Amino acid sequence: MLKQAWQRWLDRRLPRARQVQLDQRRIFIFPTGYGFLYLLVAVLLFFGGINYENNLILGLCFLMVSLFLVAILHTFRNLSGLSLRAGASRAGFVGGQGSVEVVLIAQRRPHRALWLRWLDQPAQEISVEPGEESALWLNLPLARRGRMRPPRLRVESRYPLGLLRSWSLVALDQVCLAWPRPQESPDCPADGGDRERRVAHAGQSGSEEFQGLRGYVPGDSMGQVDWKGYARGRGLNVKLFEEPASGRLWLRYDRIEGRPVEQRLSILCFWVLRLSRENRPYAMALPGAELPPGQGEEHRQRALNLLARHGDREAD
Amino acid sequence: MARIYQIPSHARSWLSLAIIAASLPQLWDGPLWQAGLLGVVLVWRTLMDRQRLVLPGRIPRLVLLMATVAATFYSFGRLHGPEAGTALITSLFALKYLELVSKRDAYVVIVLGYFVCATILLFHRGPAMALYVIGCLILLTASLAGINYSDTHARRRQHLSVAAVMVAQALPLAVALFVLVPRIAPLWNMQLDSGQARTGMSDSMSPGQVSRLTQSSELAFRVQFEGEVPPPRQRYWRGLTYSYFDGSTWRQASPPGWRREQLFYDGRGPLPDWYRSLSDAADTANTGYRYRVIMEPSRQRWLYALTVPFTDFQGESLARDFRLVADGPVNGAFSYQVRSVDVTPAALPLDDLERRLMLDLPEQGNPRARALAQRWRQRHRDDGALVDTALAYFREQPFFYTLEPPRVAGDTVDRFLFGTRQGFCEHYASSFTFLMRAAGIPARVVAGYQGGEMNSGDYLQVRQYDAHAWSEVWLPGRGWVQVDPTAAVAPERVELGLRGAFENAADGAAGEFAGLGRLPVLFQLQQWADYVDFNWQKWVLGYRQQAQRDLLERLLGAVTPLRIGLALLTVILVFSLVLGLLVLNRRRDTPVSPLEREFARLHRALAQRGLRAPASVSAAQLEAAVTRRWPSAATAAGHWRRWFEHLAYRDQGEPGPADLAGLRRRRRAVLSSLVTSNRAK
Repeated sequence: MLKQAWQRWLDRRLPRARQVQLDQRRIFIFPTGYGFLYLLVAVLLFFGGINYENNLILGLCFLMVSLFLVAILHTFRNLSGLSLRAGASRAGFVGGQGSVEVVLIAQRRPHRALWLRWLDQPAQEISVEPGEESALWLNLPLARRGRMRPPRLRVESRYPLGLLRSWSLVALDQVCLAWPRPQESPDCPADGGDRERRVAHAGQSGSEEFQGLRGYVPGDSMGQVDWKGYARGRGLNVKLFEEPASGRLWLRYDRIEGRPVEQRLSILCFWVLRLSRENRPYAMALPGAELPPGQGEEHRQRALNLLARHGDREAD
Repeated sequence: MARIYQIPSHARSWLSLAIIAASLPQLWDGPLWQAGLLGVVLVWRTLMDRQRLVLPGRIPRLVLLMATVAATFYSFGRLHGPEAGTALITSLFALKYLELVSKRDAYVVIVLGYFVCATILLFHRGPAMALYVIGCLILLTASLAGINYSDTHARRRQHLSVAAVMVAQALPLAVALFVLVPRIAPLWNMQLDSGQARTGMSDSMSPGQVSRLTQSSELAFRVQFEGEVPPPRQRYWRGLTYSYFDGSTWRQASPPGWRREQLFYDGRGPLPDWYRSLSDAADTANTGYRYRVIMEPSRQRWLYALTVPFTDFQGESLARDFRLVADGPVNGAFSYQVRSVDVTPAALPLDDLERRLMLDLPEQGNPRARALAQRWRQRHRDDGALVDTALAYFREQPFFYTLEPPRVAGDTVDRFLFGTRQGFCEHYASSFTFLMRAAGIPARVVAGYQGGEMNSGDYLQVRQYDAHAWSEVWLPGRGWVQVDPTAAVAPERVELGLRGAFENAADGAAGEFAGLGRLPVLFQLQQWADYVDFNWQKWVLGYRQQAQRDLLERLLGAVTPLRIGLALLTVILVFSLVLGLLVLNRRRDTPVSPLEREFARLHRALAQRGLRAPASVSAAQLEAAVTRRWPSAATAAGHWRRWFEHLAYRDQGEPGPADLAGLRRRRRAVLSSLVTSNRAK
């Protein structure tokens, strides 16, 4: 109840955004344990000064107290003006970790010894000098399939004296995709290809006919690069094969029956990974979405992303 | 997984430096083994950091700790108390440094460091040491900044400058807190008992004692007058009176059976009769002198003032024999406000018991002195005439004033009066008082200081070598009258002070004072140093409850908790606001190159002369604008522009000071050619 109210208050005060600049509305500040110890020492010195009637010890105590006040400003200053921008993200399988890039932008002043973390992950430390940008990849554990919004990022700093901790809870408008966890299944839920529902293990089956060459595009499978031609100095090219219609596999959601949705997707995922590993072209049909045939790294990504987005209302 | 935060290597040197700096004063004062301990720890630590040695195990460290505690106990005889405590905390500080591994250890060392800094101030209270402690605080702060910045790219110097800036920013508020935070009375009694004997008065007087005092040029107290300053011959700072003589030693005494109220008045409770009659007499008398006495720690309760001192009873009381007594030993800074009024008329009758005490002499001894006194008594019925005869005797007989009189024993008064005839104030005061009592005149010895040296016309310094002893006799109708037999023998001792007296007497006796430094430069320096020290004593060390109330009354009008609270709040708010604007100001953060600054200067100067150019103007555009407006300045502007562009776009890197000076010169040329072209119009 209280937690929800806190979350609501945070959402109002620090709404999700692509880029956030920290200012006084967004920064919280509180003494650390050591800060309290420091103040305790100052109080003890105060009593010592009073009891020994020693004005210099009192002066030391007052200097320590005002140093603490100065430290409040400096600790605040270390966060204030820092901009955080949502960067790229790397998807991962459910149960594993995805990661999200956060870009820190220092405009006019240095921001030193910043700790970034969320949940109970160990913090990562980073410093940004004025006029610079630094990027940090933060791991994000993926619990369920789909689009995953990272929780609020805690940006914390104790610089310069460690007496105070200033922090902000930043919600960056970022998405990390969680692919289904692959589940092994002996039967390939596919149309086309071999009569049997099994895929030949051979990397390049004889059913394909060489068609010609085309220029390499990032994402093409390494296995299809014309290495011999490359060695002869003809540049990086990819061998094209004309595949017989019968060799094209359509992975179909409908072909897995009697299982819950997530399990179906997991099986599809397993086959996507396997077919990709074997460098075989495939296509995929999900209810409401279809992936045209293709192969290579990019194709694999697209297939996995499609699986991850299945059933997602917000899909854009 | 708990992470162990390591101490970055760039922070380590500051930590070591802070430890050495904070320990130094204690190592200087304390037992020698402490310096050895710190040395061993530092060497071990350095070898550990270079991976040549490993951290000693738990048991060796425990043994080391026990050995340290044992050595402390051996050196001081105990483990509590300020000296032993300071030694212990300094040793622990060093030992903790040995096992410094994680950030948490560093925090512990730094916290101990603050305590060590405080213990320095317990024993050293000079302005130099206060600055030294601020330096230690900066080093400790630099260590804090270092351990909180674990980036390996951080530079060492950076931490020091961060710390120095922060401490500098904290100082104004610290001063304001120092002035405003109310001083409360000690919660429990903690006295520094250093066991060192201090030079100064003692509660008894026997020959030879004041001679030792004379050799010390240590400061006894300072006096700041409001208004008139008494001439040197009237500066008799009374400290204590000796009323009992046992034949060789004078001691303090009071009439038997008297209660405390009959002897002292501390400003509380009903006024005793003697105090009432004194203060009545004072009200009708002339104003007298007003001054504040700032005592050096004497570890004694006697305070010094001109007769008859009236005070506001802030920690001191007035004794029936016109002297001030502090409520406790003067161990730290102590000062008191006095109004001295000369109440010569017989304000106080001499009580019978008191008279008996002031006439008391041993049954036997010193027969020749007694006989001399009897002869005088027979010649003079009048006490005043008798006193004059005695003084004339001292003046006319061949008495010598010397600081190194021959030792006398037995009938000291007789031997001195009729034998050696060489002595200093003590001998004269003692024998004069003896003669007076033998002649039936109530008399006592007064000990205190005589004279003092004005420092730049501001205040008076009274040093230990100004210690003096003289007599007081009770004359009917006049009361207690001060008589200084030493003045009869050596008037210059009283007129010029001890040092002056010996400078005039060009004999070997001045030997001791030859080293006292009358070189003009040294003397001047010494006076300045003392001036600083005086103000330090008065405004910093002596800023106690009363002084604070006086100052705050002047600043705030009235001293009420509400006003002090409001003042504190205002100060803190204003301080935070000003500092916040300073620290959080974005513009100040923008790094501006010297070249840009130089450009901005010309831009501003032209704007003042009416040429408003947009902020984004280029050097060439600025030149064109100047040429259009003031054609005669075209050449100078061209020079400036070419030099600016050369510096800005050449590839030899940043312009040096000489290059910038060239640019500055060209800028001035542009501006001065504007002036001439104005005149041409």
